[in-house]
Formats: sequence, structure tokens, C-alpha cells
Amino acid sequence: MTRKNTATGRKSGPGSKKLLALSTTALALPGIAAADAPPPFSTLSYKFTNYQEDDISRREAPFGERERYDIDVHQLRLITPTGRNTSLQIDGNQESMSGASPWFNIAGADGDPIVNLSGASGIRDSRRELSIAGSYYFDNATLSASTGYSVEDDYRSRYYGLSGQTNLHQDLTTIAAGISYADDEIFPTDAELFNRVTKESKFSTSAFVSISQIINQTSTLQAALSITEQTGFLSDPYKLRDVRPEQRTQLALSSSYRHFFVSEDAALHINYRYYHDDFGISSHTLDSSWYQNLGNSLQLIPHLRYYSQSAADFYSNVDNFVLPVTENQSSDYRLSAYGAVSGGINLVAPFGDWLISLNTERYIANEKYSAYDVTQPGAGLVRYFRVSLGIDYTF
Amino acid sequence: MDAALRSFPFQAMGSFCEIRFLEPSRIEARANARKMLAEVNRLEQKYSRYNPASFLSEINAMAGNNLGTKLDTETRTIFNHALSCYEQSDGLFDITAGVLRRIWDFSSGKVPSQTEVDRLLSHIGFHKLQFSKSRLILPAGMEIDFGGIVKEYAADSVARLGRSLGIECGLVNLGGDFAVIGPLPVNRPWPIGIIHPEGDRNLMARLMLEQGGLASSGDYERCFVHQGKRYSHILNPKTGWPCDGLRAVSVSADTCTVAGSIATIAMLKPEQQGIALLEELGVDHTYMTCDEQISGRGFITDSSAEKIADQIPS
Repeated sequence: MTRKNTATGRKSGPGSKKLLALSTTALALPGIAAADAPPPFSTLSYKFTNYQEDDISRREAPFGERERYDIDVHQLRLITPTGRNTSLQIDGNQESMSGASPWFNIAGADGDPIVNLSGASGIRDSRRELSIAGSYYFDNATLSASTGYSVEDDYRSRYYGLSGQTNLHQDLTTIAAGISYADDEIFPTDAELFNRVTKESKFSTSAFVSISQIINQTSTLQAALSITEQTGFLSDPYKLRDVRPEQRTQLALSSSYRHFFVSEDAALHINYRYYHDDFGISSHTLDSSWYQNLGNSLQLIPHLRYYSQSAADFYSNVDNFVLPVTENQSSDYRLSAYGAVSGGINLVAPFGDWLISLNTERYIANEKYSAYDVTQPGAGLVRYFRVSLGIDYTF
Repeated sequence: MDAALRSFPFQAMGSFCEIRFLEPSRIEARANARKMLAEVNRLEQKYSRYNPASFLSEINAMAGNNLGTKLDTETRTIFNHALSCYEQSDGLFDITAGVLRRIWDFSSGKVPSQTEVDRLLSHIGFHKLQFSKSRLILPAGMEIDFGGIVKEYAADSVARLGRSLGIECGLVNLGGDFAVIGPLPVNRPWPIGIIHPEGDRNLMARLMLEQGGLASSGDYERCFVHQGKRYSHILNPKTGWPCDGLRAVSVSADTCTVAGSIATIAMLKPEQQGIALLEELGVDHTYMTCDEQISGRGFITDSSAEKIADQIPS
């Protein structure tokens, strides 16, 4: 004889108030409550990523360099509990990039833009980043503070963040909010030789709020809003002519839904994001992933994403050198109207205290994929392949 | 993949404990068991009454000191739950009642004098504890004992840890306090036998536990009679005298902690009130009265004597 014994499955009787009082305090115990306790173990992770852009076509760049960015990233992360209520996270990144990015675009004989990639010998740069974050776990809330520093040959960034989250309705609802501030400085190389700016700065202030709701045992819903305000030098100093406004307000609304299918032993994640800024760019991103468990030792995650954006008000696919430098203009393909499709497969395999993950992604951007009207097709839209291999060790 | 049921028996918190779970890899099973054992040890070392280096001993050593002890979040939530138990039991479940053991020595059969009892009663009462922000100021002569809470909480905490380690089928048993990590394959419940207070490997009742937890509270000594009245060995913090309540109670609930709190409160109440409470709360339970009548709901309490050995799944 099998009997299901759940106290909550029953109709509330006169004693349920007493039971509720006992259950409420018991469920607040950190070993029972799922959230708001430092991680029980330390985790050390290493991840290597190679990001490689396809060569630009001879049609788009009839002369000079065709090879675009090739970036190698090494990431090291340590998350460790440091006390009864505290944890620490340290991240170190090292990126080395080589290749070239568009320098200026001119009109070809048929009116199509011709892209000129910068530097005969291309660009060689490396970026090093260190960030540290501490969290304090309260009864039913977590507060985190972080700071980081990133440096390149021609760029330096310092950032600070503060965020908090709290759980409501017996941990069914989580509300989070945070603010961050970044102070960046750019000092282009070969500034005098190419008549570039010598030193400029940029400040970004960002705030977000999010709410996550557990709907039932198998599904959750999340919504978030973030606003970023940037001021200062927002142009690309390496382009021959690139003049952008000195202020930018960005707004993003995102939502995600997760559903676990018990019989398939798999979960579906669907995310949608809407973005708008006062450069005139609006975008939609829709992505979905399927997390398929294969036994206890393997997880296979195919994923697919679609992205489309409208062009910035001042985008022009051919640089207009006649226009006074006070007028905004940019031929940066990232400001053009285009669409992009990407997809790939991730693999996660745990072995005891170890976890190995492999991620692959193919990305293709094209003005033909755009959901918005394309008046000036962007030149030099990228296609890339990204692969990363990660190892986590828990101790 | 051939999943094997792994069993890890150990001694902790003054009792026999065992963690069982399905895990095909022996190496993985041992790694996971080590992590779960570490959680039991952590809580034992933090809240043991017998370990002078425990945080609980640190709290008790500060009795009478107006500086008090700063409580961490986990300990604060345990006090919160203890307060809830105190309120819901009308003061019967009291974590400050442990001092009574100083005068009641059942092995000698000696009954303390009323003046001895009265003197100790002034050192009992949760409401006498002072909480100022995150500090606890423990009045002189008082003592905290988390019996009836911490072992149950540890079972829940280990079960949650097991789930977070990816274990789907598993059961935690900390000296008769059970918490389910996950049911047996194809959602079969775990069969659990409740030992008869008279011992001799007989079962008082059985329960099929699919989720949540099960805890028992009992007086595994015989009742004794003093001046014509029957008493158990469980002490009532209000009178300082033994209770005239149930002999043994087992409760299953959504968590082992709640089950343990209910079982303890039911034991502390006078027999009929204890039974009434169990029925009122609507949880599955089984109990034995002082004259060895076994009853309850949701448990299998057939009187046929079944051997424990038959109940252990292979």
C-alpha cells in the first residue's frame, strides 16, 4: 500500500494555521531554503574561447587586408564561500586579438561601398581584466558588490557595481535590482601619425530591475528592465571619419521562460529582448535553447538565435568626407540595419568533482535577414565561428 | 546504465545515521557521500551540546554576560523556528528546558524536591531570552539546547544538498529522522519502519515516504508511576516535572524539521491533547499511548509483529 503524505496537498483544516506557522520558520532555515546561503563549495573554472571572424570577401574589399579579427580568450574564475554569510568571486581574463577591422568605406564604381580594413600589418592587441565581487547573504536576501579593471594597449576601463536580490512568497518570487558605473579611457595608438584623437573618456551608468517567478514545479518566468546612460567620447577613433553624439541612452526589456519536460528529461529556455536607444537603433532578439539530459553524465544543448536591428539615424554606408566634422556620421556596420542568425551546440559533462563543457556557435549577419527596412545595406557585416572549452573543479 | 543503491552508514549526532542513494558510479557515490557527510559534521560541530568548542557551547558559556553572542543567519533562523515551536505549543516546546536534566536522574529513580524544581524553573523560558539586533543575550543560569530541531534540520539540509548534487533517488536517516532526497525509481516511495519503543526489533508502524521528511519523538524507557500517577521521561518545561503524555510519536510532513517539531510538541502535551493536536494538524502520524495502544493515520500499523530486516529494501 502506498500513501502519499504531503501536508500541503490537503484541504486546510483548523490546524493548518499552526502548521503554516511551523512550516514558515522551518522553510526559512538556510539548509532548507534554496537561496541566500553562500555556495557550499569552492569552484575553480577555466575556459578557453576562440573567436574567429570569416575573411571579408574580395567583392567587399578589393584591395589590401582581408583577414578580420581572430581572438583567443582565457578566463579563470574562482567562487568560494568565505564565511557563514559571505562568498567571494574572482575573475581574471586574458584576451589576445589579431586581425583588422574596417577603417573607412568608399563608394565603388557601381555605388556599392568598398571596405578598407585598417593597417597593412593589421591590429595586434591584448586585453587583461581582473574583477572581484563579494556577496553577503542575509536571511532572505543577498547583497553583492563588485569592482573590476580592464586594460588594453589603447583602452582602460574601471567599473563598480552594486546589486541585491530578495525572495518573496516562500521563495517563489525573486526580485533583483542593481546599479553599475564604468569609467573608460581611450588613447589610440599612432594618434599623431593618423591625426587621431590622443585621449578621450567615456562614462556609463546603468541600472536594472528584474523579477523572477516560479509558476509551478516545471516552469519559471522572468522579466527585466535595464537603462544605461553613456556620455563622453562614443565614436570609433580608428575610423577615418566617425562622428557620433556624445550622449546615448539605452533601454532594454527582456523576458525569459523556462519549462522542464519531465518525460523528456529536458528543459526549454526561450528568451526575448527588445532594445532601443536614442541613436535611433531598435532591436529584437529571440533565442531558444533545449537542455537535453542524457543520463546523469551528459547534457546536450542545441541553441538558435535570431537578431535584427534598425540603423542609427546617422548611419551612412559610405563615408562622406565633404560633410563637416560637426555632423554625426558613421559607416560602422554595427550601426546599420541588419539581421543575424546564429546557432550551435553546447555539451556539458560532469565527472565527479569535475565538469567539462564545450560550446560552439556559428554566427552570420546579413542585411537580407533584417526585419527592418534597409535603405543602406551595411558593408563588412561579420560572420564568425566561436568555440570554447571549459573545465570546472569543485572542492 | 545499471544504477546501484549505495549505502553510507556512519555515527553522528549521538546516533546511527545512514545516507542511501542510487548512483551507478562508485567513485561518484563516494564523492557525493563525502560532501553530504561534511554537512552533517558541520552542523554537529556547530550545534553540539556536548562539544565544548561548538558555537552552541559558546552561546551557553556567555550566559549572564550582557554582551551576549552575535548570531549568524543560520543560527538566527533556528532561533526563529524555535520561537515558532514555543508559540505554537503554548510554551511546551522550549529550547531552554535542558537545565532540568540537572535534577532529574531517572536511572537513580530519585524524585527531586519541589524546591529544587522551583529554583530551576526560574532559569527556563524562551521569553526570557533577549535578542538585540543579531545578538542574543542569555540570562545567567540559562542554557540552550537545540534537541528536536537541529538533527531534523540537518536531515533536510543534507537532502537538499543531495538534490543539488544531482541525486534523484535518495534517503537521509539521521538517527531516525528521515528526509527524502528523491523517491525510488519510477516514483516509488521509501519504506520506513518505526521501531517499537519496547525494542526487540519489532516495528511499531511502517510508512511509505515519497517526499518530505519523517521524525519521531519517543520515550523509549518505560513509564514510571509516582504517587499513583503515570509519568514519562520527557520533561515539561512549565512544571519541571515529567509529562503524562504519549509514549512515542512519529510524524511525516513536507520537511523533517516540521515533522520533528510536531512530534515533539505532541509528546509534550497531555496524552489526549497530543492526539487531538495530531488530528487537528492533518499530517500523517502514528503514536503509542502509555498503555501501549498504537494508532494514527497514513501509517501502516498492523499489529502483526514484523521484523525490521524485512523492511530494508535491497
